[in-house]
Amino acid sequence: MKRERLFWLQVATPFIAILFAFLIGAVIVVAIGKNPLYVFGTMLAFAFGQIDSLGLILFRATPYIFTGLSVAIGFQLGLFNIGAESQYKVGLFTAAVVGYSFPGLPAIIHIPLTILAGVAGGMLWGLLPIVLKLKRGVHEVISTIMLNYTAVSLLHYLLTGPFLDQNQIGATQRIMRTKFIADSARIPTVHGLTKLLHIPLPNYVHLNYMFFIGIALCAAIYWLIWKTPFGYELRAVAGNQAAAQAAGINVKRTMFITFMLSAGIAGLAGLSEMMTSYGYMSVDFPSGYGFTGIAVALLGKNNPFGVILAALLFGFLERGAEGIQVIAGVPQEVITILQGIIILSVVVAYSILSRYIRIQKKKEAA
Amino acid sequence: MVWTALLIAAAVRMTIPILLTALGATFSERSGVVNIGLEGMMIAGTFWGAFGALKGGPLFGFFLAMVAGMVLALVHAVVSIRFKVDQVVSGTAINILAAGLARFFSIMIFHMATTSPKVNAFAKISIPLLKDIPGLGPMFTDLSPVIIVAFILVPVSAYVLNRTVFGLRLRSVGENPLAADTLGINVYLMRYAGVLISGAFAGLAGAFLAVEHTGSYIEGQTGGRGFIALAAMIFGNWTPGGALAASLLFGLAQAVTLRVQIPGIPYQFIQMLPYLLTIAVLAGFVRKAVGPAADGIPYEREGE
Repeated sequence: MKRERLFWLQVATPFIAILFAFLIGAVIVVAIGKNPLYVFGTMLAFAFGQIDSLGLILFRATPYIFTGLSVAIGFQLGLFNIGAESQYKVGLFTAAVVGYSFPGLPAIIHIPLTILAGVAGGMLWGLLPIVLKLKRGVHEVISTIMLNYTAVSLLHYLLTGPFLDQNQIGATQRIMRTKFIADSARIPTVHGLTKLLHIPLPNYVHLNYMFFIGIALCAAIYWLIWKTPFGYELRAVAGNQAAAQAAGINVKRTMFITFMLSAGIAGLAGLSEMMTSYGYMSVDFPSGYGFTGIAVALLGKNNPFGVILAALLFGFLERGAEGIQVIAGVPQEVITILQGIIILSVVVAYSILSRYIRIQKKKEAA
Repeated sequence: MVWTALLIAAAVRMTIPILLTALGATFSERSGVVNIGLEGMMIAGTFWGAFGALKGGPLFGFFLAMVAGMVLALVHAVVSIRFKVDQVVSGTAINILAAGLARFFSIMIFHMATTSPKVNAFAKISIPLLKDIPGLGPMFTDLSPVIIVAFILVPVSAYVLNRTVFGLRLRSVGENPLAADTLGINVYLMRYAGVLISGAFAGLAGAFLAVEHTGSYIEGQTGGRGFIALAAMIFGNWTPGGALAASLLFGLAQAVTLRVQIPGIPYQFIQMLPYLLTIAVLAGFVRKAVGPAADGIPYEREGE
């Protein structure tokens, strides 16, 4: 088969799968008595029609870049990190504590320190599953899910007890949250940049430099996997563990480092909001970034650049969902259903594609 | 003594959803298919169980829940058996899909995102003679009939798996699908059957939570029990009897979180108990357990 044709088939596959998912979405929309063309049209017009909406798509995509990359790097090795969901929340908490604990630090030190605290929190929460997997053979899917529930209880205790901000002056209702982080720990938004480029981005869009850090991190991970000796080891272990072991690669060490990377990157996912619009970690901080990250990783075929594209798609879906809820009266949850269907149709499409390629190769060989 | 009996009675109630799901998981895994999507199938069971109970009584609720669980199971089966997608990936997608669907239907039908109206449960029964034993009485009084049915399903499942032709074939495709295939057993059909049975059981478990335990659908009420049930099945060495013993342990842990308060220990730490216990059990025992040889591996026929 021609290489060129193969390339285009691989590019087209996810789009066909997404189209298929939207078709099923259309059936659901018809079932609740709405016109799917009107609903999806509204979604597109709302999401792409205004500059604030475009900014919000990028802002929404930011956490998914991190959780998507986190899950993708684990998948590279066949490690299924469903724990990104709690790793990012623990990372948020540790980052928030560092963010408010050192007022007066120069921002140039405080911001990186806060980000690193997020990484450390994520890694901390990823440590037990990988150690138990390597030492005791506990499947990481079950242990990470159990730790997701454990983290909810633990963070609830910490945020309503020892780390609750007691001095919420002027508040009519007390929020279960930490203290506000210091100004020196707040990451700058892109408004300085957009003003320079004469883009009228409204102030309520908190798009910030975490978005660019996410993109840079994807590039770095791509480089790590495909251009470094460690990446070579990683791909060798992914391909054939026994062969890698026989070639002298320390399989367990490779798995440990990869999982720690995955957990550390997950720890960054909530920071885009925590270090701008929120300014604190709270009990009701947005949930679900880790689960959506699984969908993002699968859609992006575990490729760091694929993750960026998939994260942008999910950012668009969420922003569009707000539009159809307000304007067309369709519940936002249609989008959650769509996410589930996208995963299924994408993995099925990839499976059909790889089988097709195999059959073609067999024919050519014959 | 009465306090202990009440705790045990609660433990038995909390055992049921885990037990039912673990029994179903046994069928799926013995046929060679890992079903991480059980949590989602339970979620479907909670919603459709409550909906059915509201419209046509508890029996109709359990029926609808079973069908809903099987519909999701069919999706998992088609994706992982027919299209040979990684079974954990497919199951995870089912979980995300089920959560979205339940919320969506809840808004459309109940006009509330997270709860249903109150629903009626089956009439409670008390076991004659046993209920009069002093001290132990509460364990045998006002029981949901589903509890008794669930316990009966343990030996029934063991019988089907170990003593019937169907069970023998199901186990053979989980151990050595190629050998089974050469003997003329339809590997795909047996695996579909295993996964569908697990979906039916998970749906029933969800209905138990919504209809019998809580008396309404509440978002998130499954609380990871689908995953805990998988751990119970592994801890129970892929057998119905073992699943029962493990489920009783996890049921007790959940009853403790509901009923026990220890001064000086924040309740959130008690809430963690079932989850940490699950990890501890897997860490301590999983090495001794040996699953079906072809569990989790898609079967590929020669020449396809």
